[in-house]
Amino acid sequence: MNKLGRGQRDKLQQFMLITGASEKVAFQALKASDWQFEGAFDLFYSHPQPRSAADTRHIEELYNRYKDPYVDMIMADGISLLCNDIQVDPQDIVMLVVSWHMKAATMCEFSKKEFIGGLQAMGVDSLDKFRERIPFLRSELRDEQKFREIYDFAFGWAKEKGQKSLALDTAIGMWQLLFAEKHWPLVDHWCEFLQARHNKAISRDTWSQLLEFARTVDPALSNYDPDGAWPYLIDEFTEYLNENGIIEKGKLSEWNYKS
Amino acid sequence: MAMSQRSTIDFNQGWQFMQNGITKLKNILEGTPETQFSSEEHIMLYTTIYNMCTQKPPHDYSQQLYDKYKESFQEYITSTVLPSLKEKHDEFMLRELVKRWQNHKVMVRWLSRFFCYLDRYFIARRSLPALQEVGLTCFRNLVYQDANGQVRDAVISLIDQEREGEQIDRALLKNVLDIFVEIGMGLMDCYENDFEDAMLRDTAAYYSRKASNWIVDDSCPDYMMKAESCLKREKERVSHYLHSSSETKLLEKVQHELLFVYATQLLEKEHSGCHALLRDDKVDDLSRMYRLFSKIPRGLDPVANIFKQHVTAEGTALVKQAEDAVSSKKVDKKDVIGLQEQIFVRKVIELHDKFMAYVNDCFLNHTLFHKALKDAFEVFCNKGVAGSSSAELLATFCDNILKKGGSEKLSDEAIEETLEKVVKLLAYISDKDLFAEFYRKKLARRLLFDKSANDDHERSILTKLKQQCGGQFTSKMEGMVTDLTLARENQTHFEEYLAHNSNASPGIDLTVTVLTTGFWPSYKSFDLNLPSEMVKCVEVFREFYQTKTKHRKLTWIYSLGTCNINGKFESKAIELVVTTYQAAALLLFNASDKLSYHEIMAQLNLSDEDVVRLLHSLSCAKYKILNKEPSTKTISPTDVFEFNGKFTDKMRRIKIPLPPVDEKKKVIEDVDKDRRYAIDASIVRIMKSRKVLGYQQLVMECVEQLGRMFKPDVKAIKKRIEDLITRDYLERDKDNPNLFKYLA
Repeated sequence: MNKLGRGQRDKLQQFMLITGASEKVAFQALKASDWQFEGAFDLFYSHPQPRSAADTRHIEELYNRYKDPYVDMIMADGISLLCNDIQVDPQDIVMLVVSWHMKAATMCEFSKKEFIGGLQAMGVDSLDKFRERIPFLRSELRDEQKFREIYDFAFGWAKEKGQKSLALDTAIGMWQLLFAEKHWPLVDHWCEFLQARHNKAISRDTWSQLLEFARTVDPALSNYDPDGAWPYLIDEFTEYLNENGIIEKGKLSEWNYKS
Repeated sequence: MAMSQRSTIDFNQGWQFMQNGITKLKNILEGTPETQFSSEEHIMLYTTIYNMCTQKPPHDYSQQLYDKYKESFQEYITSTVLPSLKEKHDEFMLRELVKRWQNHKVMVRWLSRFFCYLDRYFIARRSLPALQEVGLTCFRNLVYQDANGQVRDAVISLIDQEREGEQIDRALLKNVLDIFVEIGMGLMDCYENDFEDAMLRDTAAYYSRKASNWIVDDSCPDYMMKAESCLKREKERVSHYLHSSSETKLLEKVQHELLFVYATQLLEKEHSGCHALLRDDKVDDLSRMYRLFSKIPRGLDPVANIFKQHVTAEGTALVKQAEDAVSSKKVDKKDVIGLQEQIFVRKVIELHDKFMAYVNDCFLNHTLFHKALKDAFEVFCNKGVAGSSSAELLATFCDNILKKGGSEKLSDEAIEETLEKVVKLLAYISDKDLFAEFYRKKLARRLLFDKSANDDHERSILTKLKQQCGGQFTSKMEGMVTDLTLARENQTHFEEYLAHNSNASPGIDLTVTVLTTGFWPSYKSFDLNLPSEMVKCVEVFREFYQTKTKHRKLTWIYSLGTCNINGKFESKAIELVVTTYQAAALLLFNASDKLSYHEIMAQLNLSDEDVVRLLHSLSCAKYKILNKEPSTKTISPTDVFEFNGKFTDKMRRIKIPLPPVDEKKKVIEDVDKDRRYAIDASIVRIMKSRKVLGYQQLVMECVEQLGRMFKPDVKAIKKRIEDLITRDYLERDKDNPNLFKYLA
């Protein structure tokens, strides 16, 4: 430990500041990832460190603050309170990221296990730390890989328990939210199309393939392969775009383009 | 010269002796009076050579004799043969040449006999050409070499004259051309290079000129006849004087100039080309066209194409004709397949017969034309007429043949033949499963309402369908036919049961037909409120059936039943043959005189659709058993009905038909549903065996697997794939969304 170079010592300090980890843990993480921050963060967050009894006790206290009086779960009221405490709007997309860390099964409720596990995963055991962590959580959406995971997670989380598909309204809401973060020019047309033509629940396959579509196909559909294995709903969407003059001669009509 | 002692022969002396012999030979050849060689003279000449060659050196004169042998020819040719040739031209020259060549051959033959000993040892020892060869080579080098050009031109000129119709000396030409062949001494190069090439070029030019005139002036059939006769004559030419090896090349040249070059123009000639010939049924000309065009490379492709277009056009015209005829009919009969559609199917059968005959006769069963016919029929046979698909039309056509009182009145043989042809047409229809469903529905009606005219025909068509489409296609239908046989047996047992159980008494004569659900089309069973008279029947039968088997559930389909009911009208009693529904309605009037629409509906517990239909049949159709207020032509929910006591008819027994509900929509729905299952099953089957497969591949294999029954829509397949993903049968590969994996 004493043999650390200047640069490494700086990194160590920074790491501890951001993650709230102890010096020992921070050192281990950084060493294991060859003193690269990216890798060290990944390592740190994917392997929740054994917590001292104090840490867990704090988190449990927090849980008790929010838990519902009649059920051993945090329900809607508790969540409102939490959001208030951490100064985040309940509709804010960062709550989705929080839920993802918690591996929450359904929206608008957290089980004890989910809450505790989630806070540990985020490296948070107090409201202050939670507030501090918010910017970082927000930044995770900009990571390509994490966004995909969060997006895929959102389907299972947003749908009704016991249902295989996601209700259309909820899906549209989620898409609006998600694609506000990661811009997709066609999101409004997609939602309009669904309401006009489909009016049924969304399957998981369609949900996950849509992200692929948004990522790989250019908004003017120039590289769209109609004979490909895209879900039929997406095929119909492209037909809809062509029929309604939104895509003309392979170009997105100017008056429709939303950047 | 003394022979007993071998004294050395002096060269000059010996040669002089030989020279005399040679001179004698020349005289013979020239026709100068001479005696023939005696065998003694022959032996002497031979022996002289022998001796001169076997003398001891320096008197072995083999080399000199060999040279002298050659010089003999050279001298003769130069002094006699060449001059005689040079002074003649054309045909005369040819004759002279032939004569000289024959002579030369004789000379070579004789001289090589005399000098034969040289052939034995000398030439082999020195690796020299044999005597025969030497002799012929002299002629070739001295005569042929210079003359062949002239000869060739003369021959070709004669050939062209013959082509123009003049008589020529064929034997002469044969002899001349034999020279070309023989002078090659085992190889054909002289014939080919010095004669054949030029002859072929000339032939090509000749026919090219002819063709360019004919194509403008002549109609297609006339041109073809000329072409055919030219080919015939050229073939004869070969047998008359050309070498047999020229045949293929010669005919190919003629075919090229006459047919290949002008193929398109010929076929597309405005009023006499392929289209016109087909239109006007010119069978002979078409046969000729086939014969000629089959000879040129890919010559038949455009013909087959025009044939296909023609058949497609004819077929499509039939479709349009039928459409027009149907649409000009009265609107209210729209949903019933009528006469026009029947006629349409008949005409399609006739069209098929006609063009199949073409394929067999004119086009000699060639696969290209079979395919063209098939493709054409597939195009228009899949077009429906007036909203009815071709599958439905065919099924109705069969129904009309097979049912009693059908519109087709044919002999047994004619029926068999027609059924055979209908089954053949089925091969062209892509929605075979739709046909099967319609057929099954109609078969059910025929069997249950005893409308089948002939059991043998019913079985016969099932056999034909089985042969064409496989056992799975007909298994349900066969089950249906068998069910009826079993049902009759069952009825016998029921009657025995009734006889032995006096307490089991239905009160009325009851016949029950028990059907195996899986075989028969699905019927909606409504909970008809049975008239009390019938309730007991159902009970009694149920008890009887329990004695036969406890493991089966009986579901009563009242919509299929018939009832004979006695109507006691004022003037006389008449027996009415009606359906169970109608009977139930009529029996209500035993208890009430007047009943409103709603009362009837409530008491019967049927749907509006059924009630309207049955009341219509009883009050607004041919036989007015019930009076309706108001007496309009249609049923409305505010109508009131009463028993028409005044009804009468000259017959004692009348049948009051209840027109069936339009099955079309339901059939199509059922088939669509079955298709979804079939696609699912196919996808699962494919993925189970392949484990991992790309999307395109999967779709392709699915289409192929299902092709025997129907042409699956690619969109439908895609939807089923997604459904199977949702049901966890398949998943997309994580890295490649175009790849699917089977989930065990």
